[in-house]
Amino acid sequence: MSLTERIMDMFNIVANEGHGSIAVVFLIGILFGGIIQYTRVDKFEKIAGFAMLKDTTVPKMLFLAIGIASIALFFEVKLGYASYHIKPMIVSGLVVGGILFGASMAILGKCPGTGPISIAEGRIDVLVGAIGGIFGGYIFTKYYDSFFKPLMGESYGKETLLNTLGDHASWFVFLFGIALIIIAIKIPHIELLDEADLSKLTEEERTEIEANKKFEIIK
Amino acid sequence: MKRRLPWWLGGILMALLLLFTFSIFGANRPLGASTYVPYFAGVLFNMDPQEYVYLQHVKNPGAWEGVMLLGALVGGFLTAVFVTKSFRFSVMPTAWKAYKNSSVLSRLVWSFVAGFFLIIGARLAGGCTSGHFLSGMSQTAFSSMIFGGVVLVSLIITGKFFYKGDAK
Repeated sequence: MSLTERIMDMFNIVANEGHGSIAVVFLIGILFGGIIQYTRVDKFEKIAGFAMLKDTTVPKMLFLAIGIASIALFFEVKLGYASYHIKPMIVSGLVVGGILFGASMAILGKCPGTGPISIAEGRIDVLVGAIGGIFGGYIFTKYYDSFFKPLMGESYGKETLLNTLGDHASWFVFLFGIALIIIAIKIPHIELLDEADLSKLTEEERTEIEANKKFEIIK
Repeated sequence: MKRRLPWWLGGILMALLLLFTFSIFGANRPLGASTYVPYFAGVLFNMDPQEYVYLQHVKNPGAWEGVMLLGALVGGFLTAVFVTKSFRFSVMPTAWKAYKNSSVLSRLVWSFVAGFFLIIGARLAGGCTSGHFLSGMSQTAFSSMIFGGVVLVSLIITGKFFYKGDAK
């Protein structure tokens, strides 16, 4: 197939797959990109800054989102409006993959979801990172059977808090969600800001940040 | 108009987007953002799915995420240009200059290498910040909690040793 045909094929798969129309999937993407860009959590200073423990915006937002979603999703599934899609416990894949992923995220200052959004705001270094990523995808695909699949190890099932804790499992889900929301609120909000972006904020927003006092500005 | 959303509002909106994506009114599937990379690699390098089995595994989720990511590029671009006014071309993050070095070559080489292993890592684990953290932990999946714990430790250890402690 030619490149054009393969791209058309991508849209055809989505159109026929039954996981939302092309328009809905595209809209989910627009909202995903918009929320991440608007909160500025795709910035190097936010992600690498978290790795250096100089900025806690990312974990606060992430834990709050997970805390709320875990409780709400429980009800969504109970009411029959959604279902769970669990990833398998491939322990060595998760551990080796997690080590590589965490280290790379600290150095690139992006993850696979935030990277494209940074490219969309003009970050050339991230574009170079994405080219590296495409090569990573190529190598992974090419040597999947011979190297990566054996490395991932076997699956220990698709267990969750809900299906292992028996009758009272739902209480543990609430506990889990509430604990994450409390953690998100309790983590002290420190920020690493660069002047280039700080200068784009409104006067009121800058005053708010300065009132907070736990921040560092770099040029 | 606000130029930046506070973290708590971003967290609430992200939770709502996640719930919409999971629901039968949305996509009836989790939100993910790393399967599209091997899918795109297959498209760009014109790899044959008959020969490379992994392409058959990622065919459907890869295409879904591919369309989603095109939307994310558009959403990110429009927000950067019209809302946060943060669109600008740059090769060097300010914090890299302050805490690592001021060499553009160093930044680009490290970006390429980190981008490469970021995807290898995500594919080994079967997910990333979106698929494991957001979608997986919201389902209280043990796989995602293992991944999340390992990533946090690896991220912070790398942050400590890769960068200098004090800005120059």
